[in-house]
Amino acid sequence: MSEPSIVTLSGISKTFHRAKEPIHVLDKLDLDVPAGSFEALMGPSGSGKSTLLNIIAGLDRPTSGTVKIAGSDLTNMSDGALAKWRAATIGFVFQSFNLIPVLTAAQNVELPLLLTHLGGGERKKRVAIALKVVGLEDRMHHYPRQLSGGQEQRVAIARAIVNDPKIIVADEPTGDLDRKSADDVLTLLETLNKEQGKTIFMVTHDPAAAERAGVVRKLDKGALQ
Amino acid sequence: MNLATYARRNLWRRKGRTILTILAVAVAVLIFAVIRTVVSAWNAGADQAASDRLATRHKVSITMQLPLNYSTQLREVPGIEASTWATWFGSKDPKERTPFFAGFAADHNTWFEVMDEMQVEPAALEEWKRTPNGAILGDVLARTLEVGVGDKLMITSDIYDGDWEFKVVGIYKPLRRTVDRNSMVFRWDYLNNDPRAEFAHDQIGWMMSRITDSTKSADVSRAIDKIFDEREDQTVTMSERAFQLSFLGAFAAVLTAFDLVSLVILLIMTLILANTIAMSVRERTHEYGILRAVGFRPGHILGFILGESVLLALIGGVVGVLLTLALINGVMGPYIEENMAGFFPYFQAPVVVMLQALGAAVLLGLVAGLFPAYRASSRKVTDALRRID
Repeated sequence: MSEPSIVTLSGISKTFHRAKEPIHVLDKLDLDVPAGSFEALMGPSGSGKSTLLNIIAGLDRPTSGTVKIAGSDLTNMSDGALAKWRAATIGFVFQSFNLIPVLTAAQNVELPLLLTHLGGGERKKRVAIALKVVGLEDRMHHYPRQLSGGQEQRVAIARAIVNDPKIIVADEPTGDLDRKSADDVLTLLETLNKEQGKTIFMVTHDPAAAERAGVVRKLDKGALQ
Repeated sequence: MNLATYARRNLWRRKGRTILTILAVAVAVLIFAVIRTVVSAWNAGADQAASDRLATRHKVSITMQLPLNYSTQLREVPGIEASTWATWFGSKDPKERTPFFAGFAADHNTWFEVMDEMQVEPAALEEWKRTPNGAILGDVLARTLEVGVGDKLMITSDIYDGDWEFKVVGIYKPLRRTVDRNSMVFRWDYLNNDPRAEFAHDQIGWMMSRITDSTKSADVSRAIDKIFDEREDQTVTMSERAFQLSFLGAFAAVLTAFDLVSLVILLIMTLILANTIAMSVRERTHEYGILRAVGFRPGHILGFILGESVLLALIGGVVGVLLTLALINGVMGPYIEENMAGFFPYFQAPVVVMLQALGAAVLLGLVAGLFPAYRASSRKVTDALRRID
């Protein structure tokens, strides 16, 4: 029996306006992502990959259509409720790591936990576990500038999983990495998917990265192929 | 770590810019506090005037004299406990060791009884009563004129001709910090009996009276003026505070200008701070996008930016206040009290001014951060994430 959908998009359209000219980025798109899957989304630049990712992650709203993620209907959620929902449900991994340079690795990982009611001791415990999962427990007091690109991305993954989200969305997670570091990161994502059951939705240009995903979807001109 | 850690760390991301901004705020606070201290010191005499003392002068002007017999009649007014009188002398040091000092002829039997914030040793007071040309000086003036008790002192006047010789019989001790330590009091009868003062014979400049009940000062003032209402020389009686303020009246416009300048300084400080915060926020737009993405709400972003702005202003404010205390209490104050005691007998940084300066810094720090904080917190997450400076 197949897993129930954790991501259900129905009739999603997204239109931007540039100099009063409408630009249709997504066009009546439907998508179902089963819980526990590892999916890659590929497509040329401007095909709407990042827009689709942002809608799934609750960072952007569609112009029309409904968005149901992890049992929540995001369509009419307020901005504040959406922020709370993101903190509890989504883990983000960005292309350029996006760690806060003035905070140590441990403090960067702790950031999402500051929005919870957990005490300092419990937060530290969870941060240590998350850094151990990504193999960087010995780098917790290092600042981002003291880490390699691959290590920075692993810290970013630790930040993404520290609040135990249901879904991890990754936007070109290997785009800024060398092959070896990219493989390490992809292996880590695979492990999180297989051993912890995290649903992973990854946008990538890299065919080697896409190969590691269980499902590869292609987006072109706002429609899934 | 807590939410404040991020705001605090952000402050030192651009150390050079932060230090320069702190210095700019500190200098603005310093200038503001110095100006406010000048205004406060200028008004200090009036602010600390005795509430149970009244001053009576000629109704037309302080420069016009009153008949001596007014002093006897004034004592008969109900509510008057004691009274005295004095005449302005316009003292000058012929050796020009000081450009100006307050010198006046006063009734030697009553002056120090009424003006009891100027304390004189009983022996010195007895000596003054025995010595017609006896003079009692403030300690700062005595030091400037290089005289001590028993010394002769030659003074000239811009009102009375020639040289006037005095014998220093005592040094008064100020019991209130606003007492001018740079003045000289000598006997009114010495002036009155001199032929050079014939044009003002048996005339006095003003009268000071101590009343039994300070809450009735208005009634007693009216009663005094009523006695002389039908005379050729009418009087006006006022509280000592009002009397002192009337001397300051001519400088009111200057003080108002000072007040305006201090406000302009604060405005400049706000603009400098706002510029720094706006630059920092612009540089971190992408980072705020990341924070929003992981679940931080617009209110958090607002708090981070306002917290940083207020912290920056507070540090600048504290540095400014410390610089002010060092400058005013350590350098300016002693110099001004020694050399300009006629205008500023007491020149120290008041605690209330320091608190005002700190409060203004914090408040304006908040104001400076408002616009950039509002812009950053209301930006769409996806727009912020796209922005990389």
